[in-house]
Amino acid sequence: MNNLLTIFLGLVLINNFILAKFLGLCPFFGVSKKLSNAVSMGAAVTLVMLIASIATGIIYNYILVPYNVQFMNIIIYILVIAALVQIVEIVIKRTNIMLYNALGIYLPLITTNCAVLGITLINAQNNYSLLQSIVSALGGGLGFTLMLVIMSAIREKNELADTPKSMKGLPIAFIIASLLSLAFMGFNGLL
Amino acid sequence: MARKETGNSFNKILQNKFYPIIFLALIVFIAVVLLMYVNNITRVKILEQREAKIISQLKNIFPDMDKYELKENIYIILKNGKTIGYSFIAKGKGYGGEINTLVGINKDFSIKEITVLSNSETPGLGTRVTLSSFTDQFKGLKSADVVLSKDGGKVDAVTGATISSRAVTDSVKKELDKNIEIIKKNNY
Amino acid sequence: MNMEELEERFSAKKFWKELAKGIILTNPVFVLVLGLCPTLAVTTSVNNALGMGAGVIFVLLGSNFIISIIRKITPGMVRIPVFIVVIASFVTILSLVFEAYLPPLYESLGIYLPLIVVNCIILGRAEVFASKNPIIYSIADGLGAGLGFTIALIIISFLREVLGTGSLVIFGKQLFSIPVISTSPLSIFIMPPGAFIIIALLMALFRLIGVLKNE
Repeated sequence: MNNLLTIFLGLVLINNFILAKFLGLCPFFGVSKKLSNAVSMGAAVTLVMLIASIATGIIYNYILVPYNVQFMNIIIYILVIAALVQIVEIVIKRTNIMLYNALGIYLPLITTNCAVLGITLINAQNNYSLLQSIVSALGGGLGFTLMLVIMSAIREKNELADTPKSMKGLPIAFIIASLLSLAFMGFNGLL
Repeated sequence: MARKETGNSFNKILQNKFYPIIFLALIVFIAVVLLMYVNNITRVKILEQREAKIISQLKNIFPDMDKYELKENIYIILKNGKTIGYSFIAKGKGYGGEINTLVGINKDFSIKEITVLSNSETPGLGTRVTLSSFTDQFKGLKSADVVLSKDGGKVDAVTGATISSRAVTDSVKKELDKNIEIIKKNNY
Repeated sequence: MNMEELEERFSAKKFWKELAKGIILTNPVFVLVLGLCPTLAVTTSVNNALGMGAGVIFVLLGSNFIISIIRKITPGMVRIPVFIVVIASFVTILSLVFEAYLPPLYESLGIYLPLIVVNCIILGRAEVFASKNPIIYSIADGLGAGLGFTIALIIISFLREVLGTGSLVIFGKQLFSIPVISTSPLSIFIMPPGAFIIIALLMALFRLIGVLKNE
């Protein structure tokens, strides 16, 4: 239990996907202009990360390791993720059109989101069991969503500020990310 | 004329509705075969590298060793077939993540030497636990003394990096006590 | 003489144009803002940046070459999965070769080596260029984008390593050391916040140059 809590809190606060591991930066800077979009994107990424972690966790622990073909993990994982994103998109479209309207446009972008492939590779690298993989996916996803929400809230306010011309848009967003990253370093040593 | 005909039948294949699936399967098949082949070439070298890395790390602590055996995560260090010491890896929770330390002990269970293999501590502060000014303090210590001096032991913490120092010290002591039991019990 | 042969005929001018485009006009990092994850993660040292750059160039050249060869027989419907399989194969080969022959680099790049698969630059070049153009120009395009990416990584990592450690170490050799900084380095530049700051300032600089030019 302690171990699972360590994995979870570690990924949310200390080894945060965006601030410390730099995974999923494209959607982080692309979708973090509005608070409502940020929540949807975060939810979509967390969902795909969770499903992908379960699927690749099973493949890794019950196929790749027993047959000693771990080197195939890159190609298998990326295909599994691409297929999963398609399936999730179809299922959501058929079952919940409201949810689809909220998440739909973000789903195709997720295949090439490094956060999703990143979490499956982190699970494999640390030899996580299936349960540990699920917890790490939840932690990674929540950490990602948290950052997206904080960032978009700050950027909404920042729009009103008088930013120098050459710093407008992305450069000032990177400065904000830097300050956030500095603030979150305060959580180091928590565990 | 003949060229045009092959062009036509080729177009027919391209328009077959199963063609996309077959094409994708073919590409995946070629990729898998290719990767198997590359893996076969590089595997020996990769295993050699891993082995060489372990030996070179152990040799830093036991320069006159010639072989090792791995039992229950303990490296038994051999010279001319005789045991000259033991080694194991201690994992501690530091400030930024896990700190892995390789510990070498003599046959009388005193510490011969330790080296920090990997860490993700703050550069310039926590990473100073990797320096010999810190690790040399462990030389010759028995388990009872492997405690920070502010807690009554013989290891001085690195200034400004108490958490990192404690992570190394505590993990070394814990693994040391555990492995001495295992060595004694199994008479390695 | 059909259009095909005309198209395939090599034009040195076009080759250099495609090559230069990727390095300067459409620099993947500073202008297009693509491939951010490795740009920030592996630029703690110039050594890592060179390794990552070489890896990306290898994968880009390989995938652009293969994708251009099979461009006429690739069905549009399964285009993206085919590209992904080709790219992932080259990344796996790269990863195996690095692990076998350059283990220290393999370890310091960590998960960012396999993550080359999802580097938007590579899939982007496959989709936008290699799937539509002859082999030789696809190679030029891949080389250009790869060099542009590598140059950006080298600039960022140079600033981070020099400010953050006060010295520059390449292939295990110390090239130089700055007296004041090396005794009390600005460690923040090696850590994540420093990466964000350096990129922000470089982007602002590129923009400032652009703004001044236009005025």
